[in-house]
Amino acid sequence: MAVTTANRALTILIFGNAFVVGGVLMGFEMLGSRYLFPYFGGGIGTWASLISTVLCALAIGYFAGGAVVDRYHSSRIIATAILVAAIYLMLVPAAADPVMAKILDAFGDGPTAILLASAALLLVPLSLLGTFSPVAVGLLTRSAEESGGVAGLVYGVSTIGNIVGTLLTTFLLIPTIGSRSITYLYAIALAVCAAILFLPVGKKSS
Amino acid sequence: MFVRPLTAGTVIAGAVAAAALLFGSAAAQEPRKLLESRESLYNNIYVYGQGPDVSMTFGYNRNIYTESIFNTLDDRDLPVEYTRYMTASLLYAKNINSILEIGFGGGRTSFYLHRFLPQVPVTSVELDPVVVELSHKYFGIKDEPNFQVVNRDGRIFLNESKDRYDIILIDAYRGPFVPFHLLTKEFYTIVKDHLADGGVVAQNVEPSTMLFDSAVKTIHAVFPQLDFYVAGGNVVTVAYDGPERSADELDRTARARDSAYNLRYSLHDLLAQRRQIAIDGGTVINQDAKILTDDFAPVESLKAIEAHNRKWQ
Repeated sequence: MAVTTANRALTILIFGNAFVVGGVLMGFEMLGSRYLFPYFGGGIGTWASLISTVLCALAIGYFAGGAVVDRYHSSRIIATAILVAAIYLMLVPAAADPVMAKILDAFGDGPTAILLASAALLLVPLSLLGTFSPVAVGLLTRSAEESGGVAGLVYGVSTIGNIVGTLLTTFLLIPTIGSRSITYLYAIALAVCAAILFLPVGKKSS
Repeated sequence: MFVRPLTAGTVIAGAVAAAALLFGSAAAQEPRKLLESRESLYNNIYVYGQGPDVSMTFGYNRNIYTESIFNTLDDRDLPVEYTRYMTASLLYAKNINSILEIGFGGGRTSFYLHRFLPQVPVTSVELDPVVVELSHKYFGIKDEPNFQVVNRDGRIFLNESKDRYDIILIDAYRGPFVPFHLLTKEFYTIVKDHLADGGVVAQNVEPSTMLFDSAVKTIHAVFPQLDFYVAGGNVVTVAYDGPERSADELDRTARARDSAYNLRYSLHDLLAQRRQIAIDGGTVINQDAKILTDDFAPVESLKAIEAHNRKWQ
Protein backbone atom coordinates (compact mmCIF):
# COMPACT_ATOMS: atom_id res chain seq x y z
CA MET A 1 0.00 0.00 0.00
CA ALA A 2 1.45 3.31 -1.06
CA VAL A 3 1.39 5.97 1.52
CA THR A 4 1.81 9.57 0.40
CA THR A 5 4.05 12.00 2.28
CA ALA A 6 1.05 14.01 3.34
CA ASN A 7 -0.58 10.89 4.71
CA ARG A 8 2.53 9.89 6.63
CA ALA A 9 2.80 13.38 8.15
CA LEU A 10 -0.86 13.24 9.14
CA THR A 11 -0.37 9.82 10.72
CA ILE A 12 2.54 11.08 12.84
CA LEU A 13 0.58 14.18 13.87
CA ILE A 14 -2.44 12.13 14.88
CA PHE A 15 -0.42 9.71 17.00
CA GLY A 16 1.41 12.60 18.66
CA ASN A 17 -1.92 14.18 19.41
CA ALA A 18 -3.36 10.90 20.68
CA PHE A 19 -0.54 10.82 23.25
CA VAL A 20 -0.92 14.44 24.40
CA VAL A 21 -4.73 14.34 24.48
CA GLY A 22 -4.59 11.06 26.44
CA GLY A 23 -2.16 12.64 28.90
CA VAL A 24 -4.28 15.76 29.46
CA LEU A 25 -7.42 13.65 29.83
CA MET A 26 -6.21 11.60 32.78
CA GLY A 27 -4.09 14.42 34.15
CA PHE A 28 -7.20 16.55 34.40
CA GLU A 29 -9.05 13.76 36.19
CA MET A 30 -6.32 13.72 38.86
CA LEU A 31 -6.48 17.51 39.00
CA GLY A 32 -10.25 17.29 39.40
CA SER A 33 -9.69 15.85 42.87
CA ARG A 34 -7.88 19.03 43.90
CA TYR A 35 -10.80 21.16 42.77
CA LEU A 36 -13.42 18.97 44.47
CA PHE A 37 -11.83 17.98 47.80
CA PRO A 38 -12.08 21.44 49.43
CA TYR A 39 -15.84 21.39 48.90
CA PHE A 40 -16.88 17.75 49.02
CA GLY A 41 -14.18 16.05 51.09
CA GLY A 42 -11.52 13.59 50.01
CA GLY A 43 -13.40 10.34 50.43
CA ILE A 44 -14.05 7.42 48.13
CA GLY A 45 -17.36 9.04 47.12
CA THR A 46 -15.52 11.94 45.51
CA TRP A 47 -13.24 9.55 43.65
CA ALA A 48 -16.15 7.41 42.49
CA SER A 49 -17.87 10.52 41.12
CA LEU A 50 -14.72 11.68 39.35
CA ILE A 51 -14.04 8.31 37.78
CA SER A 52 -17.62 7.70 36.68
CA THR A 53 -17.83 11.20 35.21
CA VAL A 54 -14.65 10.63 33.21
CA LEU A 55 -15.94 7.30 31.91
CA CYS A 56 -19.30 8.86 31.09
CA ALA A 57 -17.49 11.63 29.18
CA LEU A 58 -15.47 9.04 27.28
CA ALA A 59 -18.60 7.10 26.36
CA ILE A 60 -20.21 10.28 25.03
CA GLY A 61 -17.01 11.15 23.15
CA TYR A 62 -16.73 7.68 21.60
CA PHE A 63 -20.35 7.64 20.42
CA ALA A 64 -20.20 11.19 19.12
CA GLY A 65 -16.77 10.83 17.50
CA GLY A 66 -17.77 7.60 15.79
CA ALA A 67 -20.99 9.10 14.47
CA VAL A 68 -19.34 12.29 13.21
CA VAL A 69 -16.27 10.84 11.50
CA ASP A 70 -18.36 8.72 9.15
CA ARG A 71 -20.09 11.84 7.89
CA TYR A 72 -17.21 14.37 7.86
CA HIS A 73 -13.91 12.71 7.06
CA SER A 74 -11.60 15.48 8.26
CA SER A 75 -9.08 16.09 11.02
CA ARG A 76 -10.70 19.50 11.48
CA ILE A 77 -13.38 17.76 13.50
CA ILE A 78 -10.98 16.72 16.22
CA ALA A 79 -9.03 19.95 15.91
CA THR A 80 -12.23 21.86 16.68
CA ALA A 81 -13.16 19.52 19.56
CA ILE A 82 -9.70 19.91 21.12
CA LEU A 83 -9.77 23.69 20.70
CA VAL A 84 -13.14 23.99 22.44
CA ALA A 85 -11.86 21.74 25.27
CA ALA A 86 -8.81 24.03 25.55
CA ILE A 87 -11.05 27.10 25.87
CA TYR A 88 -13.13 25.33 28.51
CA LEU A 89 -10.00 24.50 30.55
CA MET A 90 -8.90 28.13 30.26
CA LEU A 91 -12.09 29.14 32.07
CA VAL A 92 -11.88 26.49 34.81
CA PRO A 93 -9.41 28.15 37.25
CA ALA A 94 -11.50 31.32 37.55
CA ALA A 95 -14.91 29.66 37.42
CA ALA A 96 -14.33 26.56 39.58
CA ASP A 97 -14.63 28.12 43.03
CA PRO A 98 -17.89 30.05 42.53
CA VAL A 99 -19.45 27.06 40.74
CA MET A 100 -18.41 24.55 43.44
CA ALA A 101 -19.65 26.89 46.17
CA LYS A 102 -23.03 27.25 44.41
CA ILE A 103 -23.40 23.49 44.06
CA LEU A 104 -22.50 22.99 47.73
CA ASP A 105 -25.08 25.62 48.76
CA ALA A 106 -27.81 24.24 46.55
CA PHE A 107 -27.28 20.47 46.83
CA GLY A 108 -25.16 19.86 49.93
CA ASP A 109 -22.30 17.36 49.76
CA GLY A 110 -24.06 14.10 48.93
CA PRO A 111 -23.65 11.96 45.80
CA THR A 112 -25.90 14.25 43.73
CA ALA A 113 -23.79 17.30 44.53
CA ILE A 114 -20.46 15.56 43.93
CA LEU A 115 -21.64 14.11 40.63
CA LEU A 116 -22.91 17.52 39.54
CA ALA A 117 -19.64 19.16 40.52
CA SER A 118 -17.61 16.48 38.71
CA ALA A 119 -19.81 16.90 35.65
CA ALA A 120 -19.47 20.69 35.69
CA LEU A 121 -15.71 20.34 35.88
CA LEU A 122 -15.02 17.39 33.58
CA LEU A 123 -17.92 16.36 31.39
CA VAL A 124 -17.68 18.95 28.62
CA PRO A 125 -13.92 19.01 28.02
CA LEU A 126 -13.42 15.28 28.43
CA SER A 127 -16.37 14.38 26.15
CA LEU A 128 -14.77 16.59 23.52
CA LEU A 129 -11.39 14.94 24.03
CA GLY A 130 -13.08 11.54 24.00
CA THR A 131 -14.08 12.05 20.35
CA PHE A 132 -10.41 11.95 19.43
CA SER A 133 -9.77 8.22 19.31
CA PRO A 134 -12.68 7.06 17.12
CA VAL A 135 -12.15 10.00 14.76
CA ALA A 136 -8.43 9.23 14.58
CA VAL A 137 -9.16 5.58 13.81
CA GLY A 138 -11.60 6.68 11.08
CA LEU A 139 -9.06 9.06 9.53
CA LEU A 140 -6.18 6.62 9.57
CA THR A 141 -8.02 3.55 8.33
CA ARG A 142 -7.92 3.12 4.59
CA SER A 143 -9.11 -0.45 4.27
CA ALA A 144 -11.17 -2.88 6.28
CA GLU A 145 -8.20 -5.22 6.68
CA GLU A 146 -6.09 -2.67 8.56
CA SER A 147 -8.89 -1.31 10.77
CA GLY A 148 -8.06 -3.60 13.69
CA GLY A 149 -4.38 -2.71 13.58
CA VAL A 150 -5.08 1.04 13.39
CA ALA A 151 -7.61 0.94 16.25
CA GLY A 152 -5.13 -1.01 18.40
CA LEU A 153 -2.36 1.50 17.72
CA VAL A 154 -4.50 4.58 18.39
CA TYR A 155 -5.90 3.24 21.67
CA GLY A 156 -2.47 1.92 22.74
CA VAL A 157 -0.73 5.26 22.18
CA SER A 158 -3.59 7.18 23.80
CA THR A 159 -3.54 4.89 26.85
CA ILE A 160 0.21 5.35 27.25
CA GLY A 161 -0.59 9.09 27.19
CA ASN A 162 -3.15 8.44 29.97
CA ILE A 163 -0.51 6.75 32.11
CA VAL A 164 2.08 9.47 31.59
CA GLY A 165 -0.54 12.17 32.28
CA THR A 166 -1.65 10.52 35.51
CA LEU A 167 1.86 10.04 36.88
CA LEU A 168 3.31 13.33 35.67
CA THR A 169 0.40 15.32 37.11
CA THR A 170 0.41 13.53 40.45
CA PHE A 171 4.10 13.24 41.17
CA LEU A 172 5.63 16.19 39.34
CA LEU A 173 3.13 18.93 38.52
CA ILE A 174 0.89 19.02 41.62
CA PRO A 175 3.93 19.19 43.97
CA THR A 176 5.61 21.95 41.96
CA ILE A 177 3.29 24.43 40.25
CA GLY A 178 -0.23 24.22 41.69
CA SER A 179 -3.59 23.20 40.28
CA ARG A 180 -4.54 26.41 38.50
CA SER A 181 -1.22 26.68 36.66
CA ILE A 182 -1.48 23.03 35.63
CA THR A 183 -4.94 23.68 34.21
CA TYR A 184 -3.60 26.57 32.11
CA LEU A 185 -0.69 24.37 31.02
CA TYR A 186 -3.13 21.71 29.81
CA ALA A 187 -5.19 24.31 27.99
CA ILE A 188 -2.09 25.54 26.17
CA ALA A 189 -1.01 21.99 25.31
CA LEU A 190 -4.46 21.30 23.84
CA ALA A 191 -4.50 24.58 21.93
CA VAL A 192 -1.14 23.65 20.36
CA CYS A 193 -2.52 20.20 19.42
CA ALA A 194 -5.55 21.82 17.81
CA ALA A 195 -3.42 24.34 15.93
CA ILE A 196 -1.24 21.57 14.51
CA LEU A 197 -4.30 19.65 13.34
CA PHE A 198 -5.57 22.78 11.60
CA LEU A 199 -2.33 22.99 9.56
CA PRO A 200 -2.69 22.33 5.81
CA VAL A 201 -1.25 18.84 6.22
CA GLY A 202 -4.10 18.05 8.52
CA LYS A 203 -6.67 18.79 5.82
CA LYS A 204 -8.58 15.99 4.27
CA SER A 205 -5.90 14.13 2.36
CA SER A 206 -7.33 10.81 1.33
CA MET B 1 -5.23 11.64 65.68
CA PHE B 2 -1.77 10.57 64.67
CA VAL B 3 0.87 9.34 67.07
CA ARG B 4 4.31 9.72 65.60
CA PRO B 5 6.15 6.53 64.56
CA LEU B 6 8.61 5.21 67.09
CA THR B 7 12.23 5.98 66.32
CA ALA B 8 15.09 3.63 67.16
CA GLY B 9 15.76 5.65 70.31
CA THR B 10 12.24 5.40 71.63
CA VAL B 11 12.09 1.70 70.75
CA ILE B 12 15.17 1.06 72.90
CA ALA B 13 13.81 3.28 75.67
CA GLY B 14 10.51 1.45 75.35
CA ALA B 15 12.22 -1.92 75.54
CA VAL B 16 14.05 -0.86 78.70
CA ALA B 17 10.82 0.42 80.19
CA ALA B 18 9.03 -2.77 79.15
CA ALA B 19 11.75 -4.89 80.73
CA ALA B 20 11.43 -2.86 83.91
CA LEU B 21 7.67 -3.37 83.86
CA LEU B 22 8.08 -7.09 83.25
CA PHE B 23 9.67 -7.39 86.67
CA GLY B 24 7.28 -4.91 88.20
CA SER B 25 3.93 -6.06 86.88
CA ALA B 26 2.81 -8.80 84.55
CA ALA B 27 -0.35 -6.93 83.54
CA ALA B 28 1.45 -4.47 81.24
CA GLN B 29 2.87 -7.35 79.27
CA GLU B 30 -0.40 -8.90 78.24
CA PRO B 31 -0.38 -9.60 74.52
CA ARG B 32 -2.23 -7.31 72.20
CA LYS B 33 -5.54 -8.85 71.21
CA LEU B 34 -7.61 -7.88 68.16
CA LEU B 35 -11.09 -7.03 69.43
CA GLU B 36 -12.65 -6.01 66.15
CA SER B 37 -11.68 -5.02 62.63
CA ARG B 38 -13.96 -3.12 60.30
CA GLU B 39 -13.68 -1.82 56.79
CA SER B 40 -15.45 1.52 56.46
CA LEU B 41 -15.94 3.84 53.51
CA TYR B 42 -12.76 5.65 54.55
CA ASN B 43 -10.53 3.39 56.60
CA ASN B 44 -9.55 -0.12 57.59
CA ILE B 45 -10.11 0.09 61.32
CA TYR B 46 -8.63 -2.23 63.92
CA VAL B 47 -9.45 -2.14 67.62
CA TYR B 48 -6.95 -3.83 69.91
CA GLY B 49 -7.05 -4.59 73.60
CA GLN B 50 -3.89 -4.82 75.66
CA GLY B 51 -4.28 -5.06 79.40
CA PRO B 52 -6.57 -2.22 80.44
CA ASP B 53 -5.83 -0.22 77.26
CA VAL B 54 -7.91 -0.20 74.10
CA SER B 55 -6.37 1.25 70.94
CA MET B 56 -7.69 2.09 67.50
CA THR B 57 -5.46 1.84 64.44
CA PHE B 58 -6.10 2.40 60.74
CA GLY B 59 -3.80 -0.40 59.61
CA TYR B 60 -1.89 -3.43 60.78
CA ASN B 61 1.15 -1.31 61.53
CA ARG B 62 0.29 0.20 64.87
CA ASN B 63 3.42 2.33 64.95
CA ILE B 64 2.27 4.49 62.10
CA TYR B 65 -1.48 4.15 62.32
CA THR B 66 -2.43 4.46 65.99
CA GLU B 67 -5.38 6.83 66.18
CA SER B 68 -6.45 6.65 69.79
CA ILE B 69 -5.75 4.93 73.11
CA PHE B 70 -8.26 4.56 75.95
CA ASN B 71 -7.52 3.41 79.49
CA THR B 72 -10.65 1.42 80.39
CA LEU B 73 -9.84 1.67 84.10
CA ASP B 74 -9.72 5.45 84.12
CA ASP B 75 -12.25 7.56 82.24
CA ARG B 76 -10.22 10.74 82.81
CA ASP B 77 -6.81 9.47 81.74
CA LEU B 78 -5.20 10.71 78.52
CA PRO B 79 -2.59 8.01 77.75
CA VAL B 80 -1.36 9.71 74.56
CA GLU B 81 0.89 12.55 75.68
CA TYR B 82 0.14 15.13 73.02
CA THR B 83 -3.60 14.92 73.64
CA ARG B 84 -2.95 16.45 77.09
CA TYR B 85 -1.35 19.42 75.40
CA MET B 86 -4.38 19.89 73.16
CA THR B 87 -6.09 20.98 76.38
CA ALA B 88 -3.52 23.78 76.80
CA SER B 89 -5.94 25.67 74.55
CA LEU B 90 -7.95 26.25 77.75
CA LEU B 91 -5.18 28.63 78.84
CA TYR B 92 -5.67 30.99 75.94
CA ALA B 93 -9.36 31.28 75.21
CA LYS B 94 -10.91 34.48 76.51
CA ASN B 95 -14.13 32.68 77.38
CA ILE B 96 -14.89 28.97 77.44
CA ASN B 97 -18.51 28.63 76.34
CA SER B 98 -18.15 26.28 73.37
CA ILE B 99 -15.58 23.81 72.03
CA LEU B 100 -15.28 22.29 68.57
CA GLU B 101 -13.05 19.35 67.66
CA ILE B 102 -12.28 18.38 64.05
CA GLY B 103 -11.10 14.75 63.90
CA PHE B 104 -12.73 12.73 66.65
CA GLY B 105 -11.06 9.31 66.42
CA GLY B 106 -11.60 7.43 69.66
CA GLY B 107 -12.87 10.72 71.08
CA ARG B 108 -10.79 10.73 74.22
CA THR B 109 -9.60 14.34 74.02
CA SER B 110 -13.04 15.83 73.59
CA PHE B 111 -14.58 13.48 76.15
CA TYR B 112 -11.90 14.49 78.67
CA LEU B 113 -12.90 18.12 78.16
CA HIS B 114 -16.55 17.15 78.48
CA ARG B 115 -15.84 15.27 81.74
CA PHE B 116 -14.11 18.25 83.36
CA LEU B 117 -16.21 20.99 81.77
CA PRO B 118 -19.67 19.36 81.69
CA GLN B 119 -21.41 22.71 81.43
CA VAL B 120 -19.58 23.61 78.17
CA PRO B 121 -21.05 22.27 74.89
CA VAL B 122 -18.46 20.15 73.08
CA THR B 123 -19.02 19.37 69.39
CA SER B 124 -16.78 16.88 67.57
CA VAL B 125 -16.72 16.36 63.81
CA GLU B 126 -15.69 12.97 62.46
CA LEU B 127 -15.71 11.91 58.82
CA ASP B 128 -15.99 8.18 59.38
CA PRO B 129 -19.29 6.88 60.83
CA VAL B 130 -17.72 3.54 61.75
CA VAL B 131 -15.07 5.35 63.82
CA VAL B 132 -17.88 7.08 65.71
CA GLU B 133 -19.65 3.75 66.24
CA LEU B 134 -16.48 2.05 67.52
CA SER B 135 -15.70 4.97 69.82
CA HIS B 136 -19.03 4.33 71.55
CA LYS B 137 -18.48 0.58 71.65
CA TYR B 138 -14.88 0.48 72.91
CA PHE B 139 -13.70 3.95 73.95
CA GLY B 140 -16.19 4.83 76.63
CA ILE B 141 -17.90 7.54 74.59
CA LYS B 142 -21.46 8.17 75.72
CA ASP B 143 -24.20 10.34 74.32
CA GLU B 144 -24.66 12.95 77.01
CA PRO B 145 -26.04 16.48 77.19
CA ASN B 146 -23.45 19.02 75.96
CA PHE B 147 -21.53 16.32 74.06
CA GLN B 148 -22.23 15.91 70.38
CA VAL B 149 -20.50 14.04 67.55
CA VAL B 150 -21.32 15.14 64.00
CA ASN B 151 -20.61 12.78 61.14
CA ARG B 152 -19.11 15.10 58.49
CA ASP B 153 -15.98 16.17 56.69
CA GLY B 154 -14.40 18.86 58.87
CA ARG B 155 -14.21 21.49 56.17
CA ILE B 156 -17.72 20.85 54.90
CA PHE B 157 -18.98 21.15 58.47
CA LEU B 158 -17.34 24.57 58.84
CA ASN B 159 -18.49 25.69 55.37
CA GLU B 160 -22.06 25.02 56.38
CA SER B 161 -21.93 26.13 60.01
CA LYS B 162 -22.58 29.65 61.21
CA ASP B 163 -21.63 28.89 64.82
CA ARG B 164 -18.60 30.37 66.51
CA TYR B 165 -16.45 28.58 69.07
CA ASP B 166 -14.07 29.66 71.80
CA ILE B 167 -11.79 26.69 71.20
CA ILE B 168 -11.29 24.72 67.99
CA LEU B 169 -9.16 21.57 68.20
CA ILE B 170 -7.85 20.14 64.92
CA ASP B 171 -6.59 16.58 64.83
CA ALA B 172 -7.78 15.12 61.54
CA TYR B 173 -5.32 12.48 60.49
CA ARG B 174 -5.90 9.36 58.49
CA GLY B 175 -3.03 7.21 59.67
CA PRO B 176 0.00 9.39 59.01
CA PHE B 177 -1.73 11.43 56.32
CA VAL B 178 -3.58 14.71 56.57
CA PRO B 179 -6.21 15.50 53.95
CA PHE B 180 -4.76 18.52 52.08
CA HIS B 181 -8.00 20.48 52.26
CA LEU B 182 -7.63 20.62 56.07
CA LEU B 183 -4.16 22.16 55.91
CA THR B 184 -4.48 25.15 53.61
CA LYS B 185 -4.61 28.88 54.17
CA GLU B 186 -8.19 28.90 52.90
CA PHE B 187 -9.11 26.24 55.47
CA TYR B 188 -7.57 28.15 58.39
CA THR B 189 -9.31 31.29 57.20
CA ILE B 190 -12.62 29.43 57.45
CA VAL B 191 -11.55 28.19 60.90
CA LYS B 192 -10.77 31.76 61.96
CA ASP B 193 -14.19 32.88 60.78
CA HIS B 194 -15.70 30.37 63.21
CA LEU B 195 -13.80 31.60 66.25
CA ALA B 196 -15.56 33.67 68.85
CA ASP B 197 -13.90 36.84 70.12
CA GLY B 198 -10.69 35.78 71.92
CA GLY B 199 -10.94 32.23 70.53
CA VAL B 200 -8.02 29.87 69.89
CA VAL B 201 -7.11 26.97 67.62
CA ALA B 202 -5.04 24.04 68.88
CA GLN B 203 -3.65 21.63 66.33
CA ASN B 204 -1.71 18.39 66.48
CA VAL B 205 1.17 18.54 63.98
CA GLU B 206 3.64 15.77 63.35
CA PRO B 207 7.10 17.36 63.18
CA SER B 208 9.34 14.77 61.50
CA THR B 209 8.86 15.92 57.90
CA MET B 210 8.86 19.08 55.81
CA LEU B 211 5.07 19.12 55.97
CA PHE B 212 5.45 20.50 59.51
CA ASP B 213 7.34 23.55 58.26
CA SER B 214 4.71 24.33 55.66
CA ALA B 215 1.86 23.68 58.10
CA VAL B 216 3.35 26.06 60.67
CA LYS B 217 3.90 28.78 58.08
CA THR B 218 0.35 28.29 56.82
CA ILE B 219 -1.20 28.58 60.29
CA HIS B 220 1.00 31.60 60.98
CA ALA B 221 -0.17 33.22 57.74
CA VAL B 222 -3.69 33.33 59.18
CA PHE B 223 -2.99 33.66 62.91
CA PRO B 224 -0.37 36.17 64.09
CA GLN B 225 0.13 34.46 67.46
CA LEU B 226 1.49 30.92 67.56
CA ASP B 227 2.74 28.95 70.58
CA PHE B 228 4.23 25.45 70.55
CA TYR B 229 4.06 22.51 72.92
CA VAL B 230 6.48 19.69 72.16
CA ALA B 231 4.82 16.51 73.39
CA GLY B 232 6.58 13.20 72.86
CA GLY B 233 6.85 12.73 69.11
CA ASN B 234 4.13 15.26 68.31
CA VAL B 235 3.86 19.03 68.48
CA VAL B 236 0.74 20.89 69.49
CA THR B 237 0.39 24.42 68.15
CA VAL B 238 -1.91 26.98 69.74
CA ALA B 239 -2.84 29.81 67.39
CA TYR B 240 -4.92 32.94 67.94
CA ASP B 241 -5.61 36.38 66.59
CA GLY B 242 -5.02 39.73 68.25
CA PRO B 243 -2.36 40.76 70.75
CA GLU B 244 -0.01 38.24 72.36
CA ARG B 245 -1.03 36.77 75.72
CA SER B 246 1.74 37.63 78.16
CA ALA B 247 3.38 35.00 80.37
CA ASP B 248 1.83 36.66 83.42
CA GLU B 249 -1.60 36.67 81.90
CA LEU B 250 -1.33 32.97 80.96
CA ASP B 251 -0.04 32.14 84.43
CA ARG B 252 -2.99 33.89 86.07
CA THR B 253 -5.44 32.16 83.73
CA ALA B 254 -3.81 28.80 84.49
CA ARG B 255 -4.28 29.27 88.23
CA ALA B 256 -7.82 30.52 87.90
CA ARG B 257 -8.96 27.77 85.53
CA ASP B 258 -7.08 25.01 87.35
CA SER B 259 -9.05 25.80 90.46
CA ALA B 260 -12.30 26.31 88.55
CA TYR B 261 -12.21 23.04 86.58
CA ASN B 262 -10.01 20.80 88.73
CA LEU B 263 -8.37 19.31 85.61
CA ARG B 264 -6.40 16.04 85.76
CA TYR B 265 -3.58 17.62 83.75
CA SER B 266 -3.14 20.99 85.37
CA LEU B 267 -2.87 23.94 83.01
CA HIS B 268 -0.05 25.28 85.14
CA ASP B 269 2.03 22.15 84.41
CA LEU B 270 1.16 22.23 80.72
CA LEU B 271 2.11 25.92 80.54
CA ALA B 272 5.63 25.06 81.72
CA GLN B 273 6.19 23.38 78.34
CA ARG B 274 5.16 26.42 76.29
CA ARG B 275 7.63 27.41 73.61
CA GLN B 276 7.78 30.37 71.31
CA ILE B 277 9.97 30.19 68.26
CA ALA B 278 10.95 32.52 65.47
CA ILE B 279 8.99 31.29 62.49
CA ASP B 280 10.85 33.49 60.01
CA GLY B 281 14.61 33.36 60.38
CA GLY B 282 14.66 30.84 63.22
CA THR B 283 16.30 27.44 63.50
CA VAL B 284 13.17 25.28 63.73
CA ILE B 285 11.24 26.16 60.59
CA ASN B 286 12.86 25.74 57.20
CA GLN B 287 12.93 29.15 55.52
CA ASP B 288 12.13 27.69 52.11
CA ALA B 289 8.90 26.11 53.30
CA LYS B 290 5.90 27.36 51.37
CA ILE B 291 2.47 28.35 52.61
CA LEU B 292 -0.11 25.75 51.58
CA THR B 293 -3.15 26.89 49.60
CA ASP B 294 -6.09 25.15 47.96
CA ASP B 295 -4.20 25.70 44.73
CA PHE B 296 -0.81 24.50 45.94
CA ALA B 297 -0.68 21.92 48.71
CA PRO B 298 1.65 19.03 47.85
CA VAL B 299 1.10 17.36 51.23
CA GLU B 300 2.09 13.91 50.02
CA SER B 301 5.47 14.95 48.65
CA LEU B 302 6.25 17.24 51.63
CA LYS B 303 5.41 14.31 53.89
CA ALA B 304 8.06 12.28 52.07
CA ILE B 305 10.89 14.70 52.95
CA GLU B 306 12.26 13.96 56.40
CA ALA B 307 13.40 16.91 58.46
CA HIS B 308 16.33 15.97 60.63
CA ASN B 309 17.98 18.04 63.33
CA ARG B 310 15.07 20.27 64.15
CA LYS B 311 16.60 22.55 66.77
CA TRP B 312 13.97 23.52 69.30
CA GLN B 313 16.34 25.49 71.52
